[in-house]
Amino acid sequence: MLGKLIRHEWKETSKMGCLLLFVVVLITLFGWLAFRTPMWKSISNGNASFSWLDIFSVLTLMMYVMMLAGINYGITIYLGVRFYQTMYTDQGYLTHTLPVTKHQLLLSKILVSGLWIFFLMLSLYLSVFILGASMLSLFLPQGYSLASLWRELGLNFGELLELIGEEMDFNVIRWLVTLVVTTILSPFATVTILFGAISMGQLFGKHRVLAAILSYIGIMVAVSVLSSVFRSILMFSRITSAGSYLNNSLDSSIIINLLLAVGLYFVSWHVTSNRLNMQ
Amino acid sequence: MNELIEIVGLTKAYNANSIAVNNISLTLPRGRIIGLLGPNGSGKTTLIKMLNGLLTPTRGWIRINGQPVGVETKARVAYLPDRTYLSGSKRVNEILDYFCDFYADFSRERALEMLHSLDIAPNAKLNTLSKGTKEKVQLILVMSRNADLYILDEPIAGVDPAARDYILRTIINNYNPAATVLISTHLIGDIEQVLDEVIFMRYGYLVLYTSVDNIREQHGKSVDAYFREVFAC
Repeated sequence: MLGKLIRHEWKETSKMGCLLLFVVVLITLFGWLAFRTPMWKSISNGNASFSWLDIFSVLTLMMYVMMLAGINYGITIYLGVRFYQTMYTDQGYLTHTLPVTKHQLLLSKILVSGLWIFFLMLSLYLSVFILGASMLSLFLPQGYSLASLWRELGLNFGELLELIGEEMDFNVIRWLVTLVVTTILSPFATVTILFGAISMGQLFGKHRVLAAILSYIGIMVAVSVLSSVFRSILMFSRITSAGSYLNNSLDSSIIINLLLAVGLYFVSWHVTSNRLNMQ
Repeated sequence: MNELIEIVGLTKAYNANSIAVNNISLTLPRGRIIGLLGPNGSGKTTLIKMLNGLLTPTRGWIRINGQPVGVETKARVAYLPDRTYLSGSKRVNEILDYFCDFYADFSRERALEMLHSLDIAPNAKLNTLSKGTKEKVQLILVMSRNADLYILDEPIAGVDPAARDYILRTIINNYNPAATVLISTHLIGDIEQVLDEVIFMRYGYLVLYTSVDNIREQHGKSVDAYFREVFAC
């Protein structure tokens, strides 16, 4: 049944997910075009000049940054609203009368929603990378191309990591591995925390949406306070350099988020199994 | 085992001053069409929601087919709520796919036959259909299952008299004779002719559970007339 739930959830969310991916492609294209205006070439030559086209360029780049943030928040809000609608409003009458367990219901929603956030995050990283590369290409010295830069970087990557590690007392490999793990796990932790907050709202008799929003804000504040406390403890105990701070703070952030996600998963499970009150 | 539903000491309290269902104990057999009747706020919908696992009882318990409300009972109970629970963005045939996937007892052929007889296009989007047509689609979905228990909450409330007749015919012609149909409604006169038994509820209490024949024989009245007498304001 889990497979069927995942298939239907994927199908029902794919319209919005694909639309947002298309928007990322579109804004990346506009961002890339924005760097093709004469102003950027003239700045890179050290001989700045402006034309009406440059207004388009600056506005497009401003729009690009706003759209990046908008897509990030947009998908989270969409998935939260969808979870609320399919679990706790009229559509929940169908969801909760399906012959499936609450774990199957929750897992299908978390897996599909997490995957959409993951794909959108990857597309946003890729978009920023393309724009960064596009800007970098303008400022490369004569005779250098992006391809040659990547080639050199690739050849000397190991040496570069070693150098950074030595200079900053920084375990770069460990940091990179943690970063990859965080990138993979954090979308799933994000939606589990969001869904948990929405489920917490159901524990209130009235104003359940408001209660869910306040629960989410409360959880986010608690996370940031906990993270700060954790970092402060680290600063005074295990931190010997900027590098070890980077290593430990990333570790602590993923640990706190995962622990919270596990806790809030069980809140959602408890509410849907033992405290469900469809109105 | 002829008992299909066993309810013992069932209570649902929203708060100390609001008890929607109060200490109900009841055993319902298989193979009956039972009317769940009572004025507004008598606790009919609350009882139905607890039978479907949409509300958690405050006290007491329910067994359907000898099982507590859960995955096993949901596979054997076909429920028509008093509201539209389908997403408006879906097409009718997508909803049929959905039911085929999740309910082993769902018959697509039967659903398509009923859709055809009501002139509802299977590729129609739900949000293009009228409220009455959406209700008919939901009824078709429920009656296309070969369930042990059909629970219909106000199935004829929002439709015109001609559609009411069709809906009642659909219920009688399509339900599994070994199954029980529990129908909650205010429109007693319209459904009286199909009922075998009735349950009267008031202020969350069970007032009466008896057969329709019994009411006619003992009180010399129709169910509708007797209901009006019992619940006279």
